[in-house]
Amino acid sequence: MTEDRERAASPARAASVPAMPRRAALGLGLGAGAAVFGMGGLRAQAQESTIKFALLAPLSGPWARQGQLKQLGAEMAVDEINQSGGIKALGGRKVELVIFDAGDSAEKAKNAAQRMVAQHPDLIGGSGAWLSSFTLAVTEVTERAEIPWLTLSYSDAITSRGFRYVFQMSPTADDQATKALPTILDMAQRATGKKPTTVGLISGNDASAVSFMRPMRATELERNGLKPVVDETYTPPLSDATSIVQRVRGARPQFLLCITSNVPDTKLLLDKFAEYRLGGDRLPKIGNGGALGAPELGKVVGPQVIDGLMGIVANWGGKGSEEISKRFVERTGEPWLNQDSLMTYVDMMILREALERAGVADRRKVNEVIHGFDMTDGVAKLSPGGRLKFDDRGRRVGAELVIIQWQSGKPVAVYPPAIATAEPIWPNT
Amino acid sequence: MSDPQILVENFLNALTAGILVGCIYGLMCVGLGLIFGVMRVVNFAQGDFLMLGMYAGYYFFTGWGLLAFLGPYAGPLLSAILAGPVIFAGGMLLHRFLISRVSGLRTTGSLDEGHFGQLIVTLGVSLVLQNAGLIVFGSTPRTVNTPMSSSAWVIETHIFDSLVFLNKARLISSLLAILAAIALYVLLERTRLGRSLRAAADNPTAATYVGVDVDRAHRIAFGLGSGITAVAGGLIATFLSYSPFVGLDFVIIMYAGVVLGGMGSILGAFWGGLTVGFVQQFSGLVLPPQLQNAAIFVVFLLILLLRPQGFFGRSAERA
Repeated sequence: MTEDRERAASPARAASVPAMPRRAALGLGLGAGAAVFGMGGLRAQAQESTIKFALLAPLSGPWARQGQLKQLGAEMAVDEINQSGGIKALGGRKVELVIFDAGDSAEKAKNAAQRMVAQHPDLIGGSGAWLSSFTLAVTEVTERAEIPWLTLSYSDAITSRGFRYVFQMSPTADDQATKALPTILDMAQRATGKKPTTVGLISGNDASAVSFMRPMRATELERNGLKPVVDETYTPPLSDATSIVQRVRGARPQFLLCITSNVPDTKLLLDKFAEYRLGGDRLPKIGNGGALGAPELGKVVGPQVIDGLMGIVANWGGKGSEEISKRFVERTGEPWLNQDSLMTYVDMMILREALERAGVADRRKVNEVIHGFDMTDGVAKLSPGGRLKFDDRGRRVGAELVIIQWQSGKPVAVYPPAIATAEPIWPNT
Repeated sequence: MSDPQILVENFLNALTAGILVGCIYGLMCVGLGLIFGVMRVVNFAQGDFLMLGMYAGYYFFTGWGLLAFLGPYAGPLLSAILAGPVIFAGGMLLHRFLISRVSGLRTTGSLDEGHFGQLIVTLGVSLVLQNAGLIVFGSTPRTVNTPMSSSAWVIETHIFDSLVFLNKARLISSLLAILAAIALYVLLERTRLGRSLRAAADNPTAATYVGVDVDRAHRIAFGLGSGITAVAGGLIATFLSYSPFVGLDFVIIMYAGVVLGGMGSILGAFWGGLTVGFVQQFSGLVLPPQLQNAAIFVVFLLILLLRPQGFFGRSAERA
């Protein structure tokens, strides 16, 4: 290009070329302009030819690993959609995944959502943002932009605000609290022959843990005949667990609800329990959240210390998802299919299903279709409870909780029986 | 367990945990205190040197397994010590190419003595290290795998038959932290290099007149401060798991310790760190765990109110 310009500027060359008539020049200019606009139009058409799904998750900061797991699930889903011919109802249009980093605070997550909405006005729907406090902030933005948003976050507040564009795939924290205790007590009774009557409570003060523990403290413990003998709340990240574990040691509960939200806190507590002779073989511990099944937790804590730990999660690779688990493990090198990857995979597949049914790339229509879902086959089978239907608030009807337990250095589903691949182990002390 | 037994056991375990954690905090604070004491640079990237020390320890022992042949006890501890020279070299290079441009004789006599530039540069270095750490090390939490982190030596006392749990990783780490702090003290007080560092700290201009290479002294101080904090990081890595953003959790503790001890005093920085450990553990006896760090700042504010110069602010010799 530079060469051409130099040649045209050369006096000898200029002298040899006859002067261009004004009309011809005008025509050429208009033609060139039209060509440029035409190319722009083509480019715009090429961009429009993809359907955009969004993933907004923490990819930096203390929760970056969970965001990474979500990303693995989303990418796998989008690749599978595209490899199977794209969105058939839209002439095979391919799906493009746009990814935004929620960072390490609710403020950053909200800013990321605002950037996402501004940069991609043609988004069809999305998934995120893992931590309940982030999801609360992000959905303020996606609701205003009328973007259907699927989330695995647990907090009840996410779907208690009258929003129409938020869909909560997990049982809410309240729901988990109501369902968890009878299941846990039943497991204990089957293993030991008697129902526990005392419990210890340890929890962070993040949104999800607070949501889970509020109904526990208010009604559920009493309803299930449990007396809390120790109740401690800490601010994550935990810098030291000595005082907490010492209080548990003094109180001697029969089991412990230990609601942590990240790997470092869980390691710190489990190590300290083992050190104080309250390991998995003596004091059963139950937590909640996908971080409890993260492969790195097993690596940093070690099988001797982590074995026996139970976790309440919203989904897990067990019976019924063997094929997806196999593909996921082969594709990513992760040792097993976890809650975060599986649920984000399912979110993308739900958006595809809604688009296929809507038959038009209009997110408002897609939202209506999701609200109208009542499925028990296809993608619905990948969620515990096996049903895909949302109530008016956007909560999945019949969402069941899953209990996993670390056994021989690996987390396996032990409840419900439809998903469970192993029997629960409860120490008989 | 009876109530008196619980009370005594809680007290004794808080006391021992306070000493063990406090010694390691003390070593972290010494690194920051040395940099401030000699160079008068407020280093916001100090938490990230701690993080680099943790990862150096991880790669030496668990990641690359270079010291795995030493076994799960000696290997992690030697890895922590070796993190020091590695980060020392990194700190020297960082000073040579970046920090020296906003500190030392170059800024003497300027309106703000280079403090604005130092704040911006060290904050920038901190952000770069965190995000580079995320790219290089990944977001997966790591730890130096050792059975010491979840095992303890148990002492049976005669006071209400209470038990005292001495975590193996923390006990050995705190002993190494004390040794490292003593070695630094000897280096500063008994060697020619230490004298030149102290001279550069006391009066950089006068130090140049008597033949001290102030720029070199500052470079060594910055490297030493970074390296010492990295050793503390390597020791912490034997009982905590961490990601590249872990420095943020510790930098507040470091600053609290250094200010408590008296800005500029190395010995004071160690005592400041130890105090932070004590306050953190003893507050756990009476306050809910979520107020543990709040208690540190209440004590911090009280000391600033009653003794603004910190424990050793005036009485101790700088550096």
